[in-house]
Amino acid sequence: MQGFLLGLANGSSCLAFCAPALIPFFMHEGQGVRQNLVTLFKFLGGRMGGYLLIGLLAWGAGSLLSGAAGYERLLIGIAYVGLAALLLVAVLRKKAPAGACAFEGARATLSRWPALLPVGMGFLAGLKICPPLLLAFTGAASAGSLAGSLVFFLAFFLGTSVYFIPIPFLGVFRRASALQIVGQFAAVIVALYYLFAGAILLIAG
Amino acid sequence: MTAQTETKPRKPGLGVLKSLLLLLPIMLLSFLFLAGGPPREDPLPFIAGIVTWLALNILFFLMLYTGKTYRYRRVLFVALALTLIITFAASILGTRGSLALTDADVLQGKTPFCFLVIPTIIIPALFTRTIIFPGSLLTGFAPIASMLVLWAGATLLVGRGWCSWLCFYGGLDEGFSRILKKPVIKSIDRRWTYLPWAVLLGVVLLSAVTLSPAYCEWLCPFKAVTESAAITSTLILIQTIIFVTLFVGLVVVLPMLTKRRTQCALFCPLGPLQSLANKINVFDVRIDPEKCSRCKLCIRSCPTLSLDEASLESGRTLMSCTKCGQCVDACPRKAISFHIKGTKVGISADAARVLFLYPTFIFFAAFGGSIISSAILTVLKLVTTGSMY
Repeated sequence: MQGFLLGLANGSSCLAFCAPALIPFFMHEGQGVRQNLVTLFKFLGGRMGGYLLIGLLAWGAGSLLSGAAGYERLLIGIAYVGLAALLLVAVLRKKAPAGACAFEGARATLSRWPALLPVGMGFLAGLKICPPLLLAFTGAASAGSLAGSLVFFLAFFLGTSVYFIPIPFLGVFRRASALQIVGQFAAVIVALYYLFAGAILLIAG
Repeated sequence: MTAQTETKPRKPGLGVLKSLLLLLPIMLLSFLFLAGGPPREDPLPFIAGIVTWLALNILFFLMLYTGKTYRYRRVLFVALALTLIITFAASILGTRGSLALTDADVLQGKTPFCFLVIPTIIIPALFTRTIIFPGSLLTGFAPIASMLVLWAGATLLVGRGWCSWLCFYGGLDEGFSRILKKPVIKSIDRRWTYLPWAVLLGVVLLSAVTLSPAYCEWLCPFKAVTESAAITSTLILIQTIIFVTLFVGLVVVLPMLTKRRTQCALFCPLGPLQSLANKINVFDVRIDPEKCSRCKLCIRSCPTLSLDEASLESGRTLMSCTKCGQCVDACPRKAISFHIKGTKVGISADAARVLFLYPTFIFFAAFGGSIISSAILTVLKLVTTGSMY
């Protein structure tokens, strides 16, 4: 319960960190509410995977602080560049001319595994080490046992995920083609920002 | 196709007497705004104020008398943009000694607040109760509190009309759009008109994450003519290149080639916010489908791409309409007019126009007039004394 309440108290930050990629993506896809809910679950699943990877790295390095400090810039840089790439693929896969090699490969892969996009985006979003994640690890580390830590962390994750529930309701406006166009443009703008920010972190880090 | 009715086009404008009578209150109010108190030893501020006062009132009289809005509004609007650059530069040089922004200037809040930041500060302000802009709340040139109040008042008054009457940057791309006689690029894909909404969404979301004004840091073209960070790193150099490229592209070159206000219509994120605020504004521009002959001159002439064929059928402009008056003046059948929401279209069009022009012009005189007057004073001082101060 404590973990869940802590997640509820800080989940708006989680949403703020994920929203720049998530909202344009959902707008551009133009799917209905039910399909969006499924996509959101895939995204959150990927996000959980990202968090678990960070947790593993921190556990392997001995502590969150000493472990994360070394990985942080590299992880966030990779996450930004990866997110940018996925956003651009998501937007341009429908628009790229037939025969464009890079997009043909992406289109073929995505048609085989359509979950790859939302899960991948969620995973990379989870690598961004947002402040609520640090809170989650701090709380989980003080739980006293591995099982307790996992339960605390899971409850925290569920608490933060509550804030994501309204996003699938963008599907109510799926018939508005203007929304899809805006989502497409916004996704490219956000992708360019992430690409640039990620490149700076990787080069300077 | 609407049957062409044999209607005599009404004589545009009001008569001389009516125009002068309507001008009197504007003359008095603008004099109070611009005179700057009783005459002092130094005559220059008075001269600058009088020159501005004369220009404003002559142009307003011509608007009333001729019935033409766009050509006189355009003169004022371009003048506002050009004089802002002079006034801004003079003020910043006086305060900081340099147009380049240093970290120390930012920490001390010596950065004037610009209304283009407003969309990016809303969400962080709601969640963190802070303004994510390194300016001064109450002191200095363009402090945050006064700019917010000014913007809010103007938005309630004119809605999206802000973009053609009060924005002190819009005159730049408007001016460049009038240089060539004919457009080189004749058509623009209408999907680009959604880009401002995407820019708005992007900068709002990114500002909420980074807790910094993303538009100012990355995308504002007007940093090229006002102030930007001193180039002390590669990152700042890249940001400066982005600002200059956007300015040259969106404010200079594309407006010249298309004869449209491309920065305002296709990029500025404040525009969509003003469009939303316009929903509660009483003024709009309407087309009378019975008078309209479908010549599409209005569509071709609209600087912000706010008219399309669906508009002619529905009788309404798109929500991006900035009430500049170009279509109203251009329509050969006088089928387009300023309109007060809730009234019948075409009835008392002159009254609706005057009712829109009046408060808009008063606001312009108070706000824009002081900028124009200040710039004239700066130039006069420079010419007579060799110093701007």
